[in-house]
Amino acid sequence: MKIMRIAGVSIDAVLKHKVRTFLIVLAIVVGIATLTVIVALTQGANKKILQQINNFGPDAIMIHSGGGKIRGPSTASEANLTKKDIADIQDIEGVKLVSPFQVSLDMPVKYGNKFTTSWVFGVESSWQDAWRRGVSKGDFISDSDNEQLSKVCVIGRTAAKDLFGDVNPIGENILVENVSFKVIGILEKRGQSPVGTDFDNLILIPFTTASRRLMNQPLYIAMARAVVFNPSQIKTITAKIREILRANHHLAETEEDDFKITSPEEITRMIKSTSQTLNIFLWLVGIISPFVGGIVLMNIMLMAVSERKREIGLRRAVGAKKKHIIFQFLAESLALTFAGGAFGVTAGVIIAILFSLSGKPISITWQPFAVAFLFSAVIGLFFGIYPARKAAALDPAGALSQK
Amino acid sequence: MIEFNDITKSFTSGIVRTDVLKGVTFKVNKGEFAAIMAPSGTGKTTLLNVLGCLMKASSGSFLFEGQDIETLNDDQLSEIRNKKIGFVFQTFNLLERTSARDNILLPLVYSDVYPSDATKRAERLLESVGLKERINYKPSELSGGQQQRVAIARALINDPAVILADEPTGNLDSTSAKEIMAIFKNLHEEGRTIIVVTHDVNIARNAGRIVYLKDGRVEKEEVLK
Repeated sequence: MKIMRIAGVSIDAVLKHKVRTFLIVLAIVVGIATLTVIVALTQGANKKILQQINNFGPDAIMIHSGGGKIRGPSTASEANLTKKDIADIQDIEGVKLVSPFQVSLDMPVKYGNKFTTSWVFGVESSWQDAWRRGVSKGDFISDSDNEQLSKVCVIGRTAAKDLFGDVNPIGENILVENVSFKVIGILEKRGQSPVGTDFDNLILIPFTTASRRLMNQPLYIAMARAVVFNPSQIKTITAKIREILRANHHLAETEEDDFKITSPEEITRMIKSTSQTLNIFLWLVGIISPFVGGIVLMNIMLMAVSERKREIGLRRAVGAKKKHIIFQFLAESLALTFAGGAFGVTAGVIIAILFSLSGKPISITWQPFAVAFLFSAVIGLFFGIYPARKAAALDPAGALSQK
Repeated sequence: MIEFNDITKSFTSGIVRTDVLKGVTFKVNKGEFAAIMAPSGTGKTTLLNVLGCLMKASSGSFLFEGQDIETLNDDQLSEIRNKKIGFVFQTFNLLERTSARDNILLPLVYSDVYPSDATKRAERLLESVGLKERINYKPSELSGGQQQRVAIARALINDPAVILADEPTGNLDSTSAKEIMAIFKNLHEEGRTIIVVTHDVNIARNAGRIVYLKDGRVEKEEVLK
């Protein structure tokens, strides 16, 4: 086929002009590799966000005591949610369950001669369902533990490791602010929260024990976690909860909320807003660098056209039509950009893997390859067409007489 | 086979108009070996470009095998050049870094049918110009005379109706020049139509007829044999 023969001429030219080929391919490699790394990094970041939202629970709503405060859990000392609030939220249609809990941050904990600080939560047995997290060993806090104000606890992995090392903690007694608690279970591992706190450095005790014996907060509740049946209803249910709490707390229209509600949507927004500026910058660099490669391509191809005027004239003299010349030079550009794209995506993936070794989340899917292919084609065509047309527009007689 | 009737060609550069061909009329018959004698500056190159379908005349008619060249578009002219004309240039115009074989095959890249025996044909042509063993040599590895022989083989690959040679010996020493002209004579004896454009009367005398060009017009014609 004629088209294949001309494509062969293009490939031949790419192979014969080694320096030129090297420079163009290098420029495209830099561009495509940058783009690939950025795609891998942003996808990795997005994957991490999704993971964090999953950790939070896509169907969960957190209700914090105290309004207008910065992020983080509300502690027992600022608790202002009531039992009625919890009961009313439970009654909202679509709410599966609501689990109240007390929180005390960074409590000193002691076992033998080992110390640590840990978050201490006073919880009901429903905590397990609300957080979809039970014990990996031993028992969870039961309703009767709550009724009897038992001094038992379930501890997270980090706390267990800090206090007990390799010793089996179950059945041992630990001191939380000089109150002795018997360890009855170890919590399943959970990892980090969206804001980066360690979900495994915690100690759970019965809600009643926490309120009365440890945190001295018998009337109010610090936080609650509600779980809905259908995640798509999160928004309406969040609004409903707000309405109920404002009514229960007798807030006038001009007053601000004296509580705070966190939903998965808000978490997403929170994480994204911090990384958005950087993302925009990265994408800008990612888009610009292949185009810089394209400009290099166009420059060198234009030089090639003027260097090869005699060759073009000769080809025209022996019967090449304008479209054959356009095709030849365009195919040359495309061969160069695809070679650059292939090496670039490979280099990009290697760089992304190096990034991941240093702890950056990355994700390598088919997308960087598709993006590299697409950009290579676009750059080859966009920046290659002008030199190709210029070559074809040469007057054959004039081109032949070039020295 | 080739009929030039009152062909003119002018070039305009800014407001200056230069008339290069001022009404050229001549004929070349099939199987003829004709020389166009033109001293430098008499429109030799322009005449050759029009004759080779590389540019169109400003006025007049150019019939090539009965076809009016002036009515054809760029693509059609390309096809004529590909199928009907074999060019031989003063500076050989071989592709650098490309073997003799691939240089000879160049016109076939653009032809509609690619003969299955193309490589064999190239080898035979190279043999006929006495370069059989140099098939893989690149132009830089060949002497001027050898390069011109490759160029002649290239001109023949598509079995053209006419071979158009522009000062084919202009860049060669006298020995090589004699060899090249001998090849043209052989080709003529095989029945090919050959037009050589030259300013060297000794070269022109190899032809059967000489058309003298002067000041953009045909001055006289001389039949030699």
